[in-house]
Amino acid sequence: MSVGEVRIRWPDEADAVRLAASAAPGASLADRLARAGRPLNTRCGQRGLCAGCTVELIAGEFRLHDGRVSAAPAAIKACAGDLAPGTPALVAVPPRALVAHRPQVVTTFKVNVSAAHAPIVPVVPGTLDHGLAVDVGTTTVVVALVDLVTGRIVGEQSGFNRQVELGDDVLTRIQRAGDPVQREALRQAVVTRTLGPLVREVGAEAGVAAARIAGAVVAGNTTMLHLLTGTDPSSLGVAPFRPVFTNHRELSAAQLGWDWVGPDTPVHLLPGFSAYVGADLVAGCLCTGLLNDAGPSLLVDIGTNGEILLRHGDRLLATATAAGPAFEGGRLTRGVRAVAGAVAHVAFPPARYPPRLDVIPGAPRVVGLCGSAYVDLLAEGRRTGLLGANGRIDAAGWSAVPAAHRHEDADGRGVCLRARDPATVVTEADIAQLLPAKAAIAAGILTLLRRAGLTPADVGRLYLAGGFGLHLDVPHAIACGLLPGFEPRQIEVVGNTSLGGAWLALVDRTIVPEMAAAAANAEIVELNLEPGFEDTFIDQLTLPPP
Amino acid sequence: MTTLELLAQAVAAGKAKDAKALTQRALDEAIAPTEIVDRTLVPAMTEVGDKFKRSEIFVPEMLIAARAMKEAMELIDPRLAAAGITPKYTAVIGTVQGDLHDIGKNLVATMWRGANFRVIDLGANVPPAKFVAAIQEHRPHLAGLSALLTTTMPAMAETVRAIRANAGVPVKIMIGGAPITQQFCDEIGADGFAPDAGSAVDKARALVESVP
Repeated sequence: MSVGEVRIRWPDEADAVRLAASAAPGASLADRLARAGRPLNTRCGQRGLCAGCTVELIAGEFRLHDGRVSAAPAAIKACAGDLAPGTPALVAVPPRALVAHRPQVVTTFKVNVSAAHAPIVPVVPGTLDHGLAVDVGTTTVVVALVDLVTGRIVGEQSGFNRQVELGDDVLTRIQRAGDPVQREALRQAVVTRTLGPLVREVGAEAGVAAARIAGAVVAGNTTMLHLLTGTDPSSLGVAPFRPVFTNHRELSAAQLGWDWVGPDTPVHLLPGFSAYVGADLVAGCLCTGLLNDAGPSLLVDIGTNGEILLRHGDRLLATATAAGPAFEGGRLTRGVRAVAGAVAHVAFPPARYPPRLDVIPGAPRVVGLCGSAYVDLLAEGRRTGLLGANGRIDAAGWSAVPAAHRHEDADGRGVCLRARDPATVVTEADIAQLLPAKAAIAAGILTLLRRAGLTPADVGRLYLAGGFGLHLDVPHAIACGLLPGFEPRQIEVVGNTSLGGAWLALVDRTIVPEMAAAAANAEIVELNLEPGFEDTFIDQLTLPPP
Repeated sequence: MTTLELLAQAVAAGKAKDAKALTQRALDEAIAPTEIVDRTLVPAMTEVGDKFKRSEIFVPEMLIAARAMKEAMELIDPRLAAAGITPKYTAVIGTVQGDLHDIGKNLVATMWRGANFRVIDLGANVPPAKFVAAIQEHRPHLAGLSALLTTTMPAMAETVRAIRANAGVPVKIMIGGAPITQQFCDEIGADGFAPDAGSAVDKARALVESVP
């Protein structure tokens, strides 16, 4: 070995390889390896925040950017400094430190961070080489089948959580599950009647036998994870809303009653924050990259409960706000989920009528409107003068509606977006349901920001996740006051980040410890106890001026 | 338009800042607080409630109007108290133990104030013993119990039992909240139920006036 020679032991090469001398001053070891064509997993942007680029120093010295020195043997973050010049060194790079998966967009979610190829479960190529990423939602359950050799999603299936039949909201299910017999019925509804069929379908679709499933990672809200494990969730139903568990848990398929995979198959439940800010949001704060952002960042996950997370410096504030089911179509005259035949977008051309409708293909006729269409309608209705600030159709607005697009019933006025088509009716009563839903989200965001001494303009990035999928019109979400005071450039629509985080944790085993650390660090804010929340909520009940 | 007419308009339209300023102006004009309440605020809130019942306005507009009414009352209440004037009927109201939601309860409290009830608001997450103690202290005609969570309905039943057993005052008990039904009201032996804040006023009046 010559003076100062640096050798790297890569996971896929028999002998250690010589690394060229450092080039740019101030470069990190991670930079040098990247220049040599083998980038490490620096998913936090070389800010020393994650453990993605941790390598083993077997011989030599490592000088950190701040001047401190680590001597071998040591585990070092390759982004945090460089090898001491003039000193021979040997560094071993483990497989999990190499980038295998770039940030990517799949059909239902977006992952903004890179991931190593180091599955959370042992893999035997050819026999035990697939995994499941699962998102158990209150209404919808999604299963993604992942090839653990490549890390790619090879199939995805979603369906209603069959627990809906036993109560469509979380609280009804918590109430029922106080009784052990009902609790078991709820557990079976999600395990046997929801997950089982979805796993069989996704396997059949991809041509992968269940016997090849090496393990699973599950994200979901805290109540869903309680019910999945047969845990009594009663304490989640009353203040102070104490969960039985929110920690990361590794269980076997047999313990969970998952008889459609091998009994010893490991199943990881992701850690959550609290009773109403669950593992679904923890998953989201990892896969959006929020934990690694420089500026203040928000994650807003819109479902029946809107969950909101604010990262500001070292602080992580999280809260939940009762938005209700309106944005999932619940309690609206023609509200539906984002299914085939649903109107997904509405825009009024200069001539106003008929408005232009985007319908999700795959159905013979329009079946109703989904959440993103209602967001459009709030914004476009206000812009075109159909709706006043109070969300009502005033005399002037009404006179501009052609007869074929008018709708009147006992609850008041409305419009048929498509002439004389009752499946496209939106009434003033619908608007009155949507306004509190958007006000709850908006007031939750503003209250959390106020608590941190921030305004919307201070926020670098707002990740918008949830039931809207990837299709929400961002300018309209701002215009209708759902995201009050933000600019389109701040907003990134990220889809189902709960599933995204489950996938990430499945393919990269360094993710779960980071999730656990984030969960332990969070401050939970109870909006109902925040002074000013009610006032802000009432302020947000109107539509902003166009 | 007179100051009181403008005030009535501001409350109906939910303009909280205007309502506050106009109330102050009315007081500066030496209009008696009782007159502001009886001739302006009570009729204005009655109109808001009636419009709600006719589906002419919806919950968001009612919440906005109630806030304007509340701003006005905050200026008037100290004057009324200083003059030793109390409304004919008194109510205590609170959200039951285990439930932190109070926007709906606050709306009913304001609607009752707007119907000229004296309202003592116990807040949210109120244990049964606190309801009992407040009823013994204030001897109200009416006790209002709110629950938004299905899971806190048992606490509502428990509170009704505690009031009946321990308060020692013949108070009428009225319940409400998203998951509450007339059937549940009958089951737990409450005296009345209102499905919304508009009808909560009529129900409250009917209950207190039913006592000879």
